[in-house]
Amino acid sequence: MDFITMIINGLSIGGTYAIIALGYTMVYGIAKMLNFAHGDIIMVGGYTIVLFFPISPVVGIIASVIFCVIVGIVVEKSAYKPLRGASPLAVLITAIGVSKLLQSAAQIFIGSESKGITVNLGEIKMGSVKISVLTLITILCSIAVMVALTLFVKYTKTGRAMIAVSEDRGAAQLMGINVNFIIMITFIIGSALAAVASVFLVFKIQDVGPIFGAMPGIKAFAAAVIGGIGSIPGAMVGGVVLGFIEAVCGMIPPITPYTDAIEFAILIIVLLVKPTGFLGKKRREKV
Amino acid sequence: MRKTLTRIICLVVVAIMALGCLVSCNTPDEAVNYAENNTTIKVGVSGPLTGGAAMYGIAVKNSAQLAIDEINAAGGVNGIMLELVAADDKHEPTQVSTTYTTLYEGGCQLFLGTVTTGPGIQFKDYALEDGIFYLTPSASGDDIPSADGGFQMCFTDSNQGTASATYFNTNYKGKKVGIFYKADDDYSVGIKNNFVKGLDASFGTPVEASFTGDTAMFDSQIATLKDCEIIFMPIYYTPASQFMKQGSGTIKSDAIYFGCDGFDGIDAVAGFDIKSITQEVSYLSHFDSTSTSGPAADYIAAYKAKYPDQPLNQFGAAAYDCVYAMVDALNKSGKEFSATTSAQDYATILKEVFTSDTFVFNGVTGECVGDQKSTITWNDDGTVNKIAVKYVVKEASAN
Repeated sequence: MDFITMIINGLSIGGTYAIIALGYTMVYGIAKMLNFAHGDIIMVGGYTIVLFFPISPVVGIIASVIFCVIVGIVVEKSAYKPLRGASPLAVLITAIGVSKLLQSAAQIFIGSESKGITVNLGEIKMGSVKISVLTLITILCSIAVMVALTLFVKYTKTGRAMIAVSEDRGAAQLMGINVNFIIMITFIIGSALAAVASVFLVFKIQDVGPIFGAMPGIKAFAAAVIGGIGSIPGAMVGGVVLGFIEAVCGMIPPITPYTDAIEFAILIIVLLVKPTGFLGKKRREKV
Repeated sequence: MRKTLTRIICLVVVAIMALGCLVSCNTPDEAVNYAENNTTIKVGVSGPLTGGAAMYGIAVKNSAQLAIDEINAAGGVNGIMLELVAADDKHEPTQVSTTYTTLYEGGCQLFLGTVTTGPGIQFKDYALEDGIFYLTPSASGDDIPSADGGFQMCFTDSNQGTASATYFNTNYKGKKVGIFYKADDDYSVGIKNNFVKGLDASFGTPVEASFTGDTAMFDSQIATLKDCEIIFMPIYYTPASQFMKQGSGTIKSDAIYFGCDGFDGIDAVAGFDIKSITQEVSYLSHFDSTSTSGPAADYIAAYKAKYPDQPLNQFGAAAYDCVYAMVDALNKSGKEFSATTSAQDYATILKEVFTSDTFVFNGVTGECVGDQKSTITWNDDGTVNKIAVKYVVKEASAN
C-alpha cells in the first residue's frame, strides 16, 4: 500500500509509544523500579480529558497533566516510598497491584462502559498524501519532548542530580543530593509524560475505558526494553520500532491479527541477542 | 440337590428380569401431559423482563401479547383462545431451568423459546429432551436452531454474512467493497467468511482490514480502506464508532458503513455523535422500526397504540411474527388439536409443517414490497429464509 502513509502512521504510533516508554525508562533509570501502573496513569489522564473536554480541549489537557501528576505523587508517596530498599520483587508486585487498583477503581466509580468524545482536527494535504493534523502534532510533540528531556537531564542541576542518583544512589546521597526529592521529581516528570501520551491517545481513539492504558502501557514497556531501558534515546528508538511494526502489520491483512505476537516476539529476540536493548549501557557489576 | 435348586432359582430370576425388560419395553414411559387441564392454548416465552437486556424481553412479551389479542379477537385458532405465559430469565442462562419448568410444567404448548442466545442454548437442551417445538424470535446464535424442533425467526449469526452478500450483489454492483472485521472474534470472522463466499465475482477481491483485542488505533486499517466506497463491518458498535470517528476525513466522505446486528444501538453510543460523520451508516436487519408504510408500519402503529411508552424494536416484530407463524402452521396442518393437546403432539404437528416444502408464512419482518407481507420459509435445520432489509441508521450527509 501507500509507502508514505505507512511511514507517517508508524511515526505517529511510535511517537506515542515513545512518550509512554520515556516514563518507564525515567523511573526505571532513577528509582530502579518498573512502574507498571504507568499505563493506568494514562487512563486517569484520559478520563480527565473526557471530563473537561466539553468545557474546552485546552482545559482538558491542562487538567489531565495536573491530575496525572497528583495521582503519580500519591502513588509514589503511599505505595512505593515505604518500599524503598525492599527487594525489587516486592516493589514490582506492588506496582502491578497499584495498576490493578487503578483499573478496578475506574470500573467501580466510572463504570466499565467506555466514554467517548468526538475530535476532528482536520488534515493537511501534502501532494498526494493526506496527513491528519493530530498525527503531525503527535510526531512533532514527541520529538520536542525527547529533545527537551535530554537537554533537561544533561544541562540542569536537577537533571544532573538524576544522572548521579541513577549511577550510584548511595554516593549521590553522600554528595548531598536529596534522593527522595529526585525520585519524586522523576515521578512527576513520568506522570506528566503519561498525561501527554493520554492526550495523543484520547484525541486519536476518542474513547476511554478502564483498561484504556493497559495495552499501550505494555507495548511501551516493550519499546523501552527493546531500546534499552534507562536510556532516553533508547525509548524513542524502541517506540518507533514498535510503531513501524504495527503500521506494517496493519497494512498487510493476512498478518494483521498477529501484530501483538510479532511485537512481543521481537522483544524476546532482542532480550536473547542483546539483553540490554539497542542503546542500553552495559553495567559492570562491582565486586 | 441343592445345586439344582440354586440353578432353578437363578433361571427363574433371570427369566423374571428378562420378562420385566420386555414388559417395560412394551409400555413406553408415557410423557405427562401437563396441558390436560388447559382451557386455552398456552404460548410460553422465556426472556429478560428485568435487568440490562429488559428492553428486548419486554418488546417480545408485548408483541406476542399483541398478536395473541388480535388472533383471539378474530376468533382464536379453530375457535380455541390463546394465552401468553412469560417468564423472566434476566438474560442469565442459570435462570432457564426455572423459567423452562414454569412454562413447560405450567402447561404451555407452543413455545417462543428464549429472547437471547445465552439462555437459549440452555433452553434448547431442555426442550429437545422433552421433545417440544420452539420458534425463537431473536436468539440468533448458530447453536440455537435444531432439526429436532428448534426454529428461528431471526437470521442465524453467520447467515448474516450470506444475507449481506446477497444484498450487496443486487444493490451495490460495481462498488469498491472493503471489509473491516475483528480477527479474534468468532462472530465477526464467521460473518466475514460467509460474506466473502457469497459476494459476486464482479466485485473482485474485497479489501480486507482487521484488528484484534482492544486495539483502538485504527490508522493502518483506515489507510487500507480509504478508497473503498462501501465498507462491510461485521463488528459491534463500540469499535465501529471508534473506527468511524478516527476515519472521518480519510475514509471517502460518501462511503457507506454497512454493519450487521452488532450495529444495533450505534446511534446511542455515549460520546459518539453519529451526525458528526458524513458517511451513511446502515445495517442489515429483518425489520426496520422506522417504517412508515406497509405491513411493518401497521404493526408499529398497533404496537404504539397498545404500548405507547414501551420499547419498540426488531425483537418485538419478530415475536409478533412468531405467534402468527405458529398459528398459521396449525391452521394449515389439517390436523386435529385442542386446548388439552400435549406440547409433544403440538411439536409433531408444527415440525411437520415447518419442514414441509410448501409452508410459506407471510409476516412483517423481512422485505415487504408495498402492502404485501414478506415471504418467510424455513430450512429443515430450523434456520429461516427471508429477504433482509436495510436499516438506515443515518443517511449520508454533506459536511
